[in-house]
Amino acid sequence: MASIPMPTLSGGDDRFSRALIIQSLMSVATVILVAAPLAPILWQSLVDRPLYEAGGLFTMDNYARLFGDAGFYDVIWNSALLALSTTLVAGVLGVAFAIFLERTNLPGRRILRSLALWPMYISQLVIAFSWFMMYGPSGYVTLLSQQWFGSALWNLYSIPGMAVVAGTGLAPLVYLFCASSAKRIDATLEDAGRMMGAGSLRVIWSISIPLMRPAIIYSALLTFISSLEMLSVPLVFGRPVGLEFFTTYLYSQGLGGITPDYGLLGAAAAVLLAIISLLLVLQGLLLRKAGRFVTVKGKAQRQKLADLGPARWPLFAFFLVYNIAILAIPLAGIALRSVTTFLTPLMAPFDLLTTQNFTLIFAYPAYVRSITNSLLISALGGAIATAFVALVTLVVHRSEFRWRRQLEYVALYPRAIPGIVAGIGLFWAMLLLPVVNLLHGTIWILVLAFTMRSIPTAFGAISPALLQIGQELDKSARSCGADWWTTSRMIVLPLLKPAIFGAYVLLFLSFLKEYSSAVFLFSPGSEIIGTTMLSFWANGDTGPVAALSVIQLVITALFVFVARLLLRSHQDV
Amino acid sequence: MSELIIENLAKHFGDVRAIDGISLTVADGEFLTLLGPSGCGKSTTLFAIAGLDTPTGGVIRVGNQTFFDGDRGILVPPEKRNCGLVFQSYALWPHMTVMDNLAFPLRIRKVGAAERQRRIMSALELVEMDRYAKRYPHELSGGQQQRVALARTLVFEPSLLLLDEPLSNLDAKLRIRARNWLKELQKRLNITTIYVTHDQIEALAMSDRIAVMNKGSVVQLASPQEVYTRPSGAFVADFIGSSNFLRGRMKHRNSDGGAEVILEGGLQIRTIWAPEVQEGSDVLVAVRPEHIRLAAARPAANDTNLLTGRITGRSYLGARYQYALEAGGTSIAAETEDSLDRPEVYATFEPEHAVVVLP
Repeated sequence: MASIPMPTLSGGDDRFSRALIIQSLMSVATVILVAAPLAPILWQSLVDRPLYEAGGLFTMDNYARLFGDAGFYDVIWNSALLALSTTLVAGVLGVAFAIFLERTNLPGRRILRSLALWPMYISQLVIAFSWFMMYGPSGYVTLLSQQWFGSALWNLYSIPGMAVVAGTGLAPLVYLFCASSAKRIDATLEDAGRMMGAGSLRVIWSISIPLMRPAIIYSALLTFISSLEMLSVPLVFGRPVGLEFFTTYLYSQGLGGITPDYGLLGAAAAVLLAIISLLLVLQGLLLRKAGRFVTVKGKAQRQKLADLGPARWPLFAFFLVYNIAILAIPLAGIALRSVTTFLTPLMAPFDLLTTQNFTLIFAYPAYVRSITNSLLISALGGAIATAFVALVTLVVHRSEFRWRRQLEYVALYPRAIPGIVAGIGLFWAMLLLPVVNLLHGTIWILVLAFTMRSIPTAFGAISPALLQIGQELDKSARSCGADWWTTSRMIVLPLLKPAIFGAYVLLFLSFLKEYSSAVFLFSPGSEIIGTTMLSFWANGDTGPVAALSVIQLVITALFVFVARLLLRSHQDV
Repeated sequence: MSELIIENLAKHFGDVRAIDGISLTVADGEFLTLLGPSGCGKSTTLFAIAGLDTPTGGVIRVGNQTFFDGDRGILVPPEKRNCGLVFQSYALWPHMTVMDNLAFPLRIRKVGAAERQRRIMSALELVEMDRYAKRYPHELSGGQQQRVALARTLVFEPSLLLLDEPLSNLDAKLRIRARNWLKELQKRLNITTIYVTHDQIEALAMSDRIAVMNKGSVVQLASPQEVYTRPSGAFVADFIGSSNFLRGRMKHRNSDGGAEVILEGGLQIRTIWAPEVQEGSDVLVAVRPEHIRLAAARPAANDTNLLTGRITGRSYLGARYQYALEAGGTSIAAETEDSLDRPEVYATFEPEHAVVVLP
């Protein structure tokens, strides 16, 4: 059928093909990114002087001093207690949400479902500040309750109090994992229980919840780790009464003194890393035998909602009060605080109205810069990070690269690196390596840190979609003559667009919220909203903190709104 | 030209042998079918030829280009093999129109826009899909998608056409039409074709030769007629069509190419001689149900083999009845158009329909 001969494909050296070069570069970049904060910490924990000084000698003395310090045992005890009680609060709430919002005929489920996820969009720093302003020792609601009942009914300056703040903030995480599990429970399994004489509640307790066990275990460990890593709540509610936790310990050791004790800091960070790594290993071991909980067989699934009967209205009222208490009141409070000079039940807020909190922020270039930096890091840094992780995902799942399995382990390891540890590690990497030091004072060191921290999140968002794209689509492109890179660029990545966009939304929001890895890395010129809020907070200026919180919340809300619109109109992509 | 040579191809995962030393030569322009049950290694072999699966040993050569050589460490990546592979699921790229799907291999080969257009249209005309160039894959029926997949493969003039069960997703009537159409197209283009299927009817109807595979090996490589009438073993006799197996012992070979076998019950029958069978060894005699005639009355004695039996079951197949018989201690299936009332029947079959295979 051809008059002109078909051009033949030019050969090339297969040993150094374009595919192999790209795959190797991506892998090396991932390894460097993950190792950059880890290596300096491990090194510092084992040498006898600050790591930037020459001639460091190997020593175990740092660990000996750490464990010789009686205060450190308090740190471990407090951290464990807080993580455990936070997990309990978040776990009970999250599982209850999953059951009641997904498997029962609770009124208003649709709205309650989206409300249940809201705390995830909000920075933990904003959550802590807003709770402090409303429910803290001199908070608005606390003072009201003192007026009505004579004394405060709660004390957030305590581990149970902090567990409530952190637990309600982390409950969406548990809900998210358990909801998808609850939705997939085959109703025939529940019906079988009912046929044997069990009542609705009995079926939920004995069949539905046990079937969700893998999701519960997974999300409980995730919550435990997240609360170990959390800086905001311990900083706001623990430090004023001398309760020290891992993150506040690192924070004060690293930023407190004029010359921090590098060895001690390194050892403490290494211990935290080891603990979280062990927890992740435990998570893997516990879920290895999750096969017996497989409830999805094929596609045909019957879904039945349990009838709550007359109990549905009291339950609905409970959910309503819950959302008012943990979402509406703190958010309204912080918004009100941002436009008043002072917030107290003793005076009507309308008498205290002011715009000075906002004018203060917009009057100083450094404060304005923290907002533009945050936006730049979220928009541009988030895009770079998404592109980077999308390629890593392709190498892991869709290439013949020799080390692709190992690459997956490296890519997922940052789950074990708390933000504050990543910050310390990268800060030290800047001290050690002139190349990294070039980034000092720029937002790019923050982009680097945030990207490293977000690899697992984006990987988790893109992988399932990638695995759903039939292998034969890329295989057929390969046999048509396209190499790995052309296939990825023209076939796989275009098909992956919705998932990549989803990952970008996630990263934008998490980059906007991120603060804990920035506290060691920012310097004049590279402030972000979170670090500026922390410095206002340290000075007791709650007005500008509230104003910045509102600005961050508005950016978040606008972004989520636009992203949803885009997702809806491009569903066919 | 495009002769395909496979020597001693192997794919082992530890002790599991997905392909266990296959050797094949496919002539230029030949239509060869790899036929076998699922898990026999036919698709693995096809993907090894395409370069999408890496074997553990052996040689694959097309013309004078070596695609794979386990000993010399040669492994040509799939994109440099110029093989056209049509997938079972068609694998049309959903984000591209039919036109863009076909343009993809041409763009990679840097074919100019005008020439590209001409080639795409001529490939689409070839599969009678030129009117659908602007459509997206999801706007096409299964049969249309299959044609587009074939056009996308033919448009870059591959040296080999590799087809992985391309008709299995079509409905029964369409499959028969597509089968004839595909065969005719292959002959017209005279392109060397490897076709993978588990459907024996497709294999018999389309192939120049069939390689029957089982457990990673080629058990028979022959023309469709030969595979059907002279199966090389019990597996082939039963997998292609179906066969009754009568247990017996080879008595002796006749000068006319026939042989005599004594069945387990003592009855002596006449069969075809099989060269690999020794006189005196235990054998199975394979007889297809459609070659057995049933009669209520004892037929006049002649040269056919005769068994007496009892009907134990009967199923109505529409055009015919299938009977289950009990004859000489063995159950036998036979098909006939007659409806038989009495349980006692006489079953006869010609010696040339009695194939001796080793047990």
